[in-house]
Amino acid sequence: MEQPSVAPILSLNNVEVIYDYVSLAIKGVSIEVPTGGMVALLGANGAGKSTTLKAISGLLTAERGEVRRGEVTFLGQSISGMMPQDRVKLGIAHVLEGRRVFEHLTPEENLVAASAVRSRHVMKRNMDRVYGYFKRLHERRGVASGYLSGGEQQMLAIGRALMTEPKLLMLDEPSLGLAPFLVAEIFQIISTISKDEGLSVLLVEQNAVAALDIVSHGYLIENGRIVMHDSTEALKRNPDIQEFYLGGAKGKDFRDIKHYSRRKRWLT
Amino acid sequence: MDAVLLLESAVNGALVGLMYSLVAIGIVLIYKSSSVPNLAQGSMTMLGAYIVLAISTGVGAPIWLAIPLAIGVMFFVGIGIERLALRRLAGRPVIMILMMTLGIEIFLRAGTMTIWGGTSRPISLGISDAPLFLGPLLINRAYAFGAVVALAMFGLFVLFFRTRTGVVLRAISDDYTAAWSVGISVERGVALSWAMAAVVATIGGVLWGSVQGVDQSLALLLLKAVTVAVLGGLDSIGGALLAGLLLGIVEGVAGSFLDPLLGGASRDLVDAAMLILTILIRPHGLFGRHDIERI
Amino acid sequence: MFFRQAGIFHINYAADRALFPIPADRWMVGTLLALAATAPLFMNTLYLSSYMLPWLVWTAGALGLNLVLGWAGQFHLGYAAVMGIGAYAAVHGVRHGIPWEIAVILGGLTASVIGIGFAFAALRVKGLYLALSTLALQFVMDWTISHVPAISGGTQATLQAPDIRLLGWPVTSDAGLYYVALVWCLLVTTFMLNLRRTALGRALVAVREKDYAAAVIGVNSFYYKLVAFATSSFIAGVTGAILVNTFYHAVTPEQFSVDVSIQALAMVIVGGLGSIIGSYFGAGFILLMPGAMNTFISWAAAQFGLSLGIETLAHLPQALYGALIIGFLLVEPLGLGKIYNNVRDYLLVWPFGYVKK
Repeated sequence: MEQPSVAPILSLNNVEVIYDYVSLAIKGVSIEVPTGGMVALLGANGAGKSTTLKAISGLLTAERGEVRRGEVTFLGQSISGMMPQDRVKLGIAHVLEGRRVFEHLTPEENLVAASAVRSRHVMKRNMDRVYGYFKRLHERRGVASGYLSGGEQQMLAIGRALMTEPKLLMLDEPSLGLAPFLVAEIFQIISTISKDEGLSVLLVEQNAVAALDIVSHGYLIENGRIVMHDSTEALKRNPDIQEFYLGGAKGKDFRDIKHYSRRKRWLT
Repeated sequence: MDAVLLLESAVNGALVGLMYSLVAIGIVLIYKSSSVPNLAQGSMTMLGAYIVLAISTGVGAPIWLAIPLAIGVMFFVGIGIERLALRRLAGRPVIMILMMTLGIEIFLRAGTMTIWGGTSRPISLGISDAPLFLGPLLINRAYAFGAVVALAMFGLFVLFFRTRTGVVLRAISDDYTAAWSVGISVERGVALSWAMAAVVATIGGVLWGSVQGVDQSLALLLLKAVTVAVLGGLDSIGGALLAGLLLGIVEGVAGSFLDPLLGGASRDLVDAAMLILTILIRPHGLFGRHDIERI
Repeated sequence: MFFRQAGIFHINYAADRALFPIPADRWMVGTLLALAATAPLFMNTLYLSSYMLPWLVWTAGALGLNLVLGWAGQFHLGYAAVMGIGAYAAVHGVRHGIPWEIAVILGGLTASVIGIGFAFAALRVKGLYLALSTLALQFVMDWTISHVPAISGGTQATLQAPDIRLLGWPVTSDAGLYYVALVWCLLVTTFMLNLRRTALGRALVAVREKDYAAAVIGVNSFYYKLVAFATSSFIAGVTGAILVNTFYHAVTPEQFSVDVSIQALAMVIVGGLGSIIGSYFGAGFILLMPGAMNTFISWAAAQFGLSLGIETLAHLPQALYGALIIGFLLVEPLGLGKIYNNVRDYLLVWPFGYVKK
């Protein structure tokens, strides 16, 4: 496995998250995101992807969760125990799963609200930048966001995150419920932003095919544990990944299903 | 009944209605910026008036000094309510939050009574009792003054919700988690909304206190305020203004018709009926937002 | 220690779904019942008629409110008004020569009809708006009761409640009134305990959790909301009638004002939403608290040599009552019932605390 040459912007070291003092959601997750790089975190439902992101952005407390062990380091500084707004100020932006735009506000007001941690005079500049990337938002800036289409809402959610001037953008399932061509368009834009501005991206996806097209590295998480980490090319070549995440296996019969469960067990 | 008398009760009703809106705006402010229904606004109004009295009679400060001082005190009372009572309830079911504001209502009202006693005291703003003549109509000077203040407050808050802070507060009421995710300090936003509501309550308390004296009945303005807030739409400032006018006029006119028929106290009945009809016919009020519910 | 679970193996569903599956619970309930039944023998009549009796009646009332609030999840800020309807209907019934038992049931039914009126508000709106509309209905009821002379006998009037005659026998002794209250409270408790095991109870819980999701799986949420309000109002009406007959002996509109509604709500919240034993705790707590507070405050004032004005003494318990509601919501939102359950669960496996239940 090749190591990224640059110093990581974000690293998780053996992080363990527990909800409600009882249920262990992720168990000893270690992840690194290289500065300016794009990394994917892949996994099935309930594998712990969203929890990992919330541990980084500090949104766990709202859901009665806490980081019980391990350390989250951002730009060489430990951020465990920081309030969410302070993390945003440092440059961590989290695009929530299911878009979660402020429905009763217009897109423009969404962007204004999101600039709460940045000073007033950079707001206009950031807004122009966001409208530059997402032309459609500019056209629809005056209607209530609840009435935008799914794709437009996702663009707004990403644009909103960009308003906070992030150094690290974390996206939680941006492809959820979107048509494939929209997924391609949004991923293209993310990749452009990353290249143009040196933005680091941590992408959480179930749609592994689309995700592996734009990232350089991928982590595979299952049952709250990282089970695989490699470059995109290596991941794409891996027969297990092909079979379980890329839909590569064809013509299964009953024996293959048994085989599937055996291989899954090996993975965890 | 002649037309002049009817018009007179309508105009005075409208002015009173604007003063109702002044109390209602506290409910709207908090709902608009944190989606918390505030049933403690009535007792906050009462507490504000008592604090003004305490400063002006206790310390001997003139009224124009006592009011801003009381506003300052109430600002921190509002922040304290958020910090002590509501912060831990964020994200709980609405029944708990509603019960909490009811508990605060009881606590503040009885606490105020415990400290200052229940006898009604006057508060004087130096407005003369002589009515204002508008053509053939006699208009209560104190109500007119209250209405002007109410209008000024409305202008202020409409402008406020266009500012960046105002937009941030509206964002919080839409989605707490999403607000956290873009770096909004939700706790501070909610605290600010309670502080503003407490400030408005002080102003409302002083105005109402100067009209009817400062006593426990100030807390009963809650029913009127809730009616106005719901009728206007819980998150609409302009709605509260219009609904206040409407309720005031209906109350004034209906009162002068119904009181002789029903043997008095028909105003409360009119309020309750307006509230029920609004909720049954148009729950989101005249200008309130529709809440979208997802399965 | 007190609730040992060791050696209890249910070998059929009936045993497992019994009301009290654990023998220790059965013993406790039995003992309490025996104590309750013999209370008039060893208890001072003052305690019996001024503490035990209102506690039992109010427990029945709190259980009725719990049905609609804790089980069906529908807000009800007009509960006292419904109780008042029942009380007035029953009193007027007896005055018109209807036998007492039938008049009380009539009172319950009248309250039920009014309660369905509340339910129609619940069919349209929920949550906050339901709370506000029931609050408004409470005001309308208050106004109607006190302003229609046919009901209240004129403004500011007090209507004497006729004596109870059960099957022709007059019940006037303190012990007799106590038994009336006890029987009613036990009836309601049994009903509520069994509700948990019926289709109705499960449907109500489904409606509480998400009414449209319940509708999707075939639970007619409109119907069940209606049933919840009607049943709860019936309980409220009968409770109101019994309260007036056994405790107040007269009926005035103030007995059923909005403050009383809030008090009933406080009983349910302090006791615990949906908790049956909690309703007993909640009713007891809210009823006894003001008196206990008064005694305590006077005692404390005497100890520290403070002289408190009559105003202060009148309002301080009320303020503490508000503070208690706030405190419960902050510390244990599920109330005394939940605290009892925590203790019970702990003792169930004591001293082996690590055992999973």
